[in-house]
Amino acid sequence: MSATKMVSLTIEGRAVSVPEGTTILEAAKAAGVLVPHYCYHPGLPVAGVCRMCLVEVEKFPKLAPSCATAVGEGQVVHVYSEKALEARKGVLELLLINHPLDCPICDQAGECELQDYTFQEGRADSRYREPKRFNPVEDFGGDVLYVTNRCILCTRCVRFMDDVHEAPVLCVSERGDRAVISKAADADLTQPWAANVIDLCPVGALVSKDFLNKARAWELDRTASVCPGCSQGCNTVLETRDNVVMRMKPRPNDAVNQFYLCDVGRLDYHWMNRADRLESPKIRLADVLSPVDWEIALGQAAEALRGRRAYVVASPQLSNEALFLLKRLIGATGGEGAFRCATGPEAPLPGVDDLALRADRAPNVRGAELLGFTRRDGDLLAGLKSGDVLVVAGDALDGVDLRRAVDAATVIVVGTVLPVGLPTPVAVLPIANVAEEEGTFTNLRGRVQRFLQAKAAPGLARPSWYALADLATAAGAPSDDCALPSRAFAALAAAEPAFSGMSYDALGLRGAVVAGAEVAR
Amino acid sequence: MGINVKVMERPVGEASYVRATLKGLALTLKHLVDPHRVTIQYPEEKWDLSPRWRGTHRMLTTEDGKAKCVACGLCPTVCPANCIKLVPGEDETGNRYPLVFEIDEFRCIFCGYCQEVCPEEAIHLGRHYENAEFNRERFVYDLERLTAQTHPVSTLWDPADPRGE
Repeated sequence: MSATKMVSLTIEGRAVSVPEGTTILEAAKAAGVLVPHYCYHPGLPVAGVCRMCLVEVEKFPKLAPSCATAVGEGQVVHVYSEKALEARKGVLELLLINHPLDCPICDQAGECELQDYTFQEGRADSRYREPKRFNPVEDFGGDVLYVTNRCILCTRCVRFMDDVHEAPVLCVSERGDRAVISKAADADLTQPWAANVIDLCPVGALVSKDFLNKARAWELDRTASVCPGCSQGCNTVLETRDNVVMRMKPRPNDAVNQFYLCDVGRLDYHWMNRADRLESPKIRLADVLSPVDWEIALGQAAEALRGRRAYVVASPQLSNEALFLLKRLIGATGGEGAFRCATGPEAPLPGVDDLALRADRAPNVRGAELLGFTRRDGDLLAGLKSGDVLVVAGDALDGVDLRRAVDAATVIVVGTVLPVGLPTPVAVLPIANVAEEEGTFTNLRGRVQRFLQAKAAPGLARPSWYALADLATAAGAPSDDCALPSRAFAALAAAEPAFSGMSYDALGLRGAVVAGAEVAR
Repeated sequence: MGINVKVMERPVGEASYVRATLKGLALTLKHLVDPHRVTIQYPEEKWDLSPRWRGTHRMLTTEDGKAKCVACGLCPTVCPANCIKLVPGEDETGNRYPLVFEIDEFRCIFCGYCQEVCPEEAIHLGRHYENAEFNRERFVYDLERLTAQTHPVSTLWDPADPRGE
């Protein structure tokens, strides 16, 4: 079938067969054995500098670095033999000679590989009695702080900047025990993808300024999500503590973002915690908004929509499910849908194919287009006719010329905040934001990806699919088949040919590409 | 028909109360001249606490009067009663420092794990038992109160017999 030759070998007594040229470390991974390592990273060129991945291979004269040794037919590899453990214990002791052991104040504590492997295989105490080397903390620019003393010189950051970012800003300077990572004098890490060195750093040497001293790694709850920063749709992990998003980190997905997340996306989570949210449904009573029950607000919205055309302004921040239900609403009222998308400069990551911070700074532009919404970046309300009902869904309408809305329309707001400058809406329906609900986004290559709920929505706010299913039902487009996000997605998959055959179970956490989209990579 | 009542005959020497009364008075007299005291005259007298006594907490300070705590988060993690609230942050010189450090002494079970786990030897249990307050809120000790307290601290083990042998 394939031309690649398979090589069979035994690792820790487990037989495994891998393609020729695979490293022992990767073969061990396939066999379910994790060889401790620092300098090796699957996304970076092999350096073989940390000596942590030494394993014993039978008939080899000495221990082999498993990250840089290719597998051979019939090899017998021992990862946890006495000789290998002794060697790695020695490596750890040397790495810890100048390490400050300041775990109590180190942000990496709890997710530090130096901590983990020392606990697993290292010595219980140090034999080093001389004073430790000391270097001050250095600001590397961007979001990155370099705590020199903690560095183990694995050079992952240097290789990332050289070979993946292709902006050679970092290097190892000085020699021997004085060696440190330093940056070029005239440049720093204020670069679109540079903060990935924080995730790549196996110890606490490169830390995020944004996350500095904010939380401990073991306190955080982790939820699989998708970055809402641009149409690339990088897979992320939202890390929350006490219902507050503390940081966003990349989640590996070879088909989208490999191991990386850009700085813009990484720091684009603060708005998820904003406190000035719509918390209760409201209706207009004597030109003033009053909080009411959901049923009353939905009834009021249905009343306003009766016999009139709905002009829906949707946000490309909304999920496919929400946009689909808005489409049903449009269908029931004979209206039309429009959206706009903020744009910014595109910033590719040179070392990875088809990965960039995209110009369209919203996650679901493709989904909105597939579901029949018209992009109107210029005049968002161009299609609004006199007597229409303007349904504002998710968009805060900053910087939009609202004169047309003031003249023409009755307004219904479905959103997280109340847009400023609109005539008083007849009904306001509060919805959850991306961190507070489940749903899917379609990225610019047509990949449909799920995001999960990381925190609770404020007050009476409901997930967008919930609120919009009720609104569609009230407006005469029965949507009782959308009682769960998975069912809303199933209804979407049944109705839209592009999404046919998809389901939450089939998407998993890797996503699937819509029918008719060009296959990316 | 009469009822037969059996009249017990007791020896006069054993049945008399005189002997027992004198015995009791003799004991009282003995304690009067040779006090064998168990009761402590609290509050004039205070109990001598064991070095292992685990009472309400104290936060030790550095020479410049700041709490030694670096907000590493180990004590709230190890606390089985979940009584420690800690919010980490930075002090004015940029060092890691607790913005909020509160111990709910009502929830605390005085196990001593927080003292044992502390890498900075900052939080300690106290050799102290006089904790009366006029309201419940006062039993949530904040950082200011924990650092201001001056009572001696627990050693958690007996210095004369550290291994408990």
